[in-house]
Amino acid sequence: MRSSSGKGDLMADKLILYKEHLNSFLRKITKGFELIAPVRNTYGDTLFEVISSVDDAHIDLTDRPILSPKRFFMPQVETLFAYRCDKSGYTFKDASDSTPRVIFGLRSCDTRGILFYDLIFQEGLKDKYYLDRRKNTILINLGCNQPGENCFCKSAQSGPFLTYGYDIQLTDLGDRFFVETGRPRGRELLAGWSYFFRPATQTDIDAQYEVVLESESKFRHRLDFDAAIEKLINQEVDPAVWEEMGNRCQNCGGCAYVCPTCYCFNIFDSPCSEKEGERVRTWDACTFAGFSRLAGGYNPRQDKAQRIKRRFYHKLFYDKQKYSIPSCVGCGRCADICFGRIDMLSFIRLICEQKERALAPAHRRLGELLLEAGIISRKDLDLAIEKQAATGKPLGTQLVEMGMVDKEAIARALGYQLKIPDTAKNIED
Amino acid sequence: MSNNIYLPHIAVIKDIKEETGDIKTFTLAFKDREWKRSFSFRPGQFMMVSVFQAGEVPISISSSPTQPGNLQLSIKKAGSLTGKIHEHKVGDEIGLRGPYGRSFPVERLIGKNLLFVAGGIGLAPLRSLINYALDKRTEFGRVTILHGARTPSDIPFRHELSLWPKERDVKVLVTVDRPDSKWRGSVGPVTTLWNKADLSGQDTLAIICGPPVMISFVVMDLLKMGFSEDDIISTLERHMKCGVGKCGHCSIGHQLTCVDGPVFTYREMKELPTDL
Repeated sequence: MRSSSGKGDLMADKLILYKEHLNSFLRKITKGFELIAPVRNTYGDTLFEVISSVDDAHIDLTDRPILSPKRFFMPQVETLFAYRCDKSGYTFKDASDSTPRVIFGLRSCDTRGILFYDLIFQEGLKDKYYLDRRKNTILINLGCNQPGENCFCKSAQSGPFLTYGYDIQLTDLGDRFFVETGRPRGRELLAGWSYFFRPATQTDIDAQYEVVLESESKFRHRLDFDAAIEKLINQEVDPAVWEEMGNRCQNCGGCAYVCPTCYCFNIFDSPCSEKEGERVRTWDACTFAGFSRLAGGYNPRQDKAQRIKRRFYHKLFYDKQKYSIPSCVGCGRCADICFGRIDMLSFIRLICEQKERALAPAHRRLGELLLEAGIISRKDLDLAIEKQAATGKPLGTQLVEMGMVDKEAIARALGYQLKIPDTAKNIED
Repeated sequence: MSNNIYLPHIAVIKDIKEETGDIKTFTLAFKDREWKRSFSFRPGQFMMVSVFQAGEVPISISSSPTQPGNLQLSIKKAGSLTGKIHEHKVGDEIGLRGPYGRSFPVERLIGKNLLFVAGGIGLAPLRSLINYALDKRTEFGRVTILHGARTPSDIPFRHELSLWPKERDVKVLVTVDRPDSKWRGSVGPVTTLWNKADLSGQDTLAIICGPPVMISFVVMDLLKMGFSEDDIISTLERHMKCGVGKCGHCSIGHQLTCVDGPVFTYREMKELPTDL
């Protein structure tokens, strides 16, 4: 069943799985593994869930799940060990989890998030809780044919398709999946049920390549991470920006909650009775006030603005310094969730595209403003956005070039957005 | 004990010494003989101390590795967990994980004169290095110990502060912010001791530990005296949870206090944005 392209065993297998066989294949997986896949719930949200019955589950491979799968590697609440004190002293009961798992339908951003977790938990002293789960979990990545509204994984070099790090990667080719094995255990998983697969032909390979290229052209957002990091290194971000961001932070911890690469945790003891209890770890967020507070009250990051500033320095600059790539994977979830619009997407766009301007109270996109004002139709806007993704021009310029809107309308809309009086005279051609 | 970095070893409290009203030195012995025999550490390292049902806290080792079997932690009552530790009695058991952290660069100190500057409980981690140097007296040059406390009753290790000057070429100077009626020594911050200390920036390394404000002032003066940035060494304190470089709490800039520190030279500290 090997479909090596002649460069030796190290080349990934390239196979085809017809979609009509997908459920049968997944059912087979449930015989030997706990299967986790994206499931749409009754509210219309897609989340990674454990699948007990493949036929009854509403597996959704269209939308990016709203939470990362990190809880399957570090649960939100995890018992490290139980302790008990009796006459002879303390005894412990270690917790561990070596359940064999398959996560099916990971997105590239989430797979890269897990690879980042590897750097944290496998380097230096080894975190056995993470390691037990990680080595027993097979990752089946599903590349994204259509980036989401807030996605920018391409700018973060985390997608939409990966060339490494997955055990298996799927590409949706319409009626079938293009299947690539990345690591030996991906190959082992498929070898067990090889009758579901046929070797990929050159047509399939070409089709997959087309899908990748097309997906890469569809991103609404192109961010220059390097430029943003330069600004942080050179301390070129106006202190007023940090102040404003601190003001907007609601201390909800949502960003850390949804982020695939946030890993900070708290450890505390949870008594069960007078002599027994559990040492537990839970997710934590550096944006919380008490994160760095010492006993006695001294807090090196007393201000919210300081904590927000540190969050961005950490994700962009420090992690790049330590691991040669920033730890933001461009999944856009913080942009989906942040009430104060101080997510990574808003932040990088702010410091790179705009100069020293304060954030508008309602930082809405130009397209939305024009739509609302009735100056442009939805259809025209979509066309312009599509064109813009290919040309890379700012949306305003694109709209004007396509004759959909005149310069004055753009300027007025931008001025409203940026709290600047009529800028019609200042807009560049 | 498995290779689980979060699982503590059990130690029994062998002795408790009340140093001041809020500082106690606990002498500890590991219960597991194998672990007790193989345990070793370097001056400047710390242990994560477990009080089960309450949690863990990082505490610098205040004894020297030259006195094995005599592991000591000098703990100031500062919060609820250290408060619970203070309620313990001889014979009680606690959990210990470690040793963790980057130690004092002992090899660099060999043959040099050593200037120790401590504020309050800051003398505890330095005590480990002081006793190390004095137990290996011939390997080090002149030893000067400057200590500043709030009041005379806040001076820890009083017994040793009186024994240390009896060693060859060791000078000890203590100052307090607020004297009592019996105090005959210096009054003022520790920086007022420079004149009495007979220092030069030659062939001397300075090791400092104390509140952040004290460290800044002391470093300023040392630089003026001609100390180089590599020859000024300090140990920093941060809130810690795991102590093993995973949980993120003790971060300073791109470094982690529990793994890249707590010992830093001034040159390294300058690079660290202490508020980020």
